Amino acid sequence: MSQPVTPPQPAPRPMTPAELAAYRARQQSRSRALAVVLVLIVILFFAITLVKLREEAARHRPVSAAAAPVAPATAAPTGTH
Amino acid sequence: MNTATPPTPTALALDADWRDFFALTKPRVMTLVIFTAVCGMLAAPGSLNPVLAFTAILCIAVGAGGSAALNMWWEADLDAGMKRTRHRPVPSGRMEATSARDFGFFLSGASVVTMGLAIGWLAAAILAGSIFYYAYVYTVWLKPRTPQNIVIGGGAGAFPPLIGWVAVTGHITLMPVLLFLIIFMWTPPHFWALALFVQTDYAKVGIPMMPVVAGERSTRLQILAYAVVLLPLTLLPWWLGYTGHVYGMAALALGLVFVALSAKVGLRHRADQGDTMKPEKRLFAYSILYLFILFAMLVVDRVATAYGV
Repeated sequence: MSQPVTPPQPAPRPMTPAELAAYRARQQSRSRALAVVLVLIVILFFAITLVKLREEAARHRPVSAAAAPVAPATAAPTGTH
Repeated sequence: MNTATPPTPTALALDADWRDFFALTKPRVMTLVIFTAVCGMLAAPGSLNPVLAFTAILCIAVGAGGSAALNMWWEADLDAGMKRTRHRPVPSGRMEATSARDFGFFLSGASVVTMGLAIGWLAAAILAGSIFYYAYVYTVWLKPRTPQNIVIGGGAGAFPPLIGWVAVTGHITLMPVLLFLIIFMWTPPHFWALALFVQTDYAKVGIPMMPVVAGERSTRLQILAYAVVLLPLTLLPWWLGYTGHVYGMAALALGLVFVALSAKVGLRHRADQGDTMKPEKRLFAYSILYLFILFAMLVVDRVATAYGV
């Protein structure tokens, strides 16, 4: 069975200086956006870790400390949940 | 003699811009997703650490963005045939389809895992369910097969307040289910109003939207029917004592306007020529405003109740 013959594709021409500049600018823009997102993710996960550690510490606090007066919850439930 | 000119060799295509990736997440739809999720969180009894609350909202938004990217990857061929969607990153050629797919899977997976680790696995499971519901049940399965696609697929957009509620309380009660049902019943009249004035586009790519399959008359009557059912449904939280009078009165007033605008669409016949579809466009615009105000009133009511108003 013969293979279909595909016509030879023309080789891509080299970029003009203007196209190369646009290509590099777009790459840089993407890299910057990715860097910002990564930094924000690191900060977010650091903050989550701190909150979780604090919650865990409060959960395992000795009974005498846990028996201290606690402020009432700020969000009062509405209706019958 | 062959006079055809050979194809011009092209230079390497430009990489997709970060804005194209952002566009994949359907930011305008995400606005409503974030808003309803925030309202679900604020209306829930209890409180959540602000960092965790922000994380939960971010996960819901990113999950919605991931499922939107998967939707755009799957529907790139259809999008190319519609005026409204042909400029999206994939059909316009600014981005490879596989990039959209990978981006969608990454956002979806990352949002679910982060939600599970930071908030809880019940909220993460519902988020995963909502992504699967939109990306597979609606996009792949229902949309090309049945004119009821938007009715059942509307569930995908109804998850955010439910997830927001579960993120705060850790469990599901009747109230978040009612919030889910409100958005579920709101979606058909909202979307069909749009489908009425972009009807030709859907018909062109063979999507069985209600106006294409059942006809315009039937669609108009169904819009009215859903609006009529939606009104008492939005009043249920008030009747059942989950909310106060502030929400109840607002839901009643907003719902009556919604029914009135739906009646204008439902009971009218399109003119043969020169019909600008003004009532349909007005209903579509109002439906967005309606949901925003309704969910905002849920929060206002909660604050009012807390202060004894």
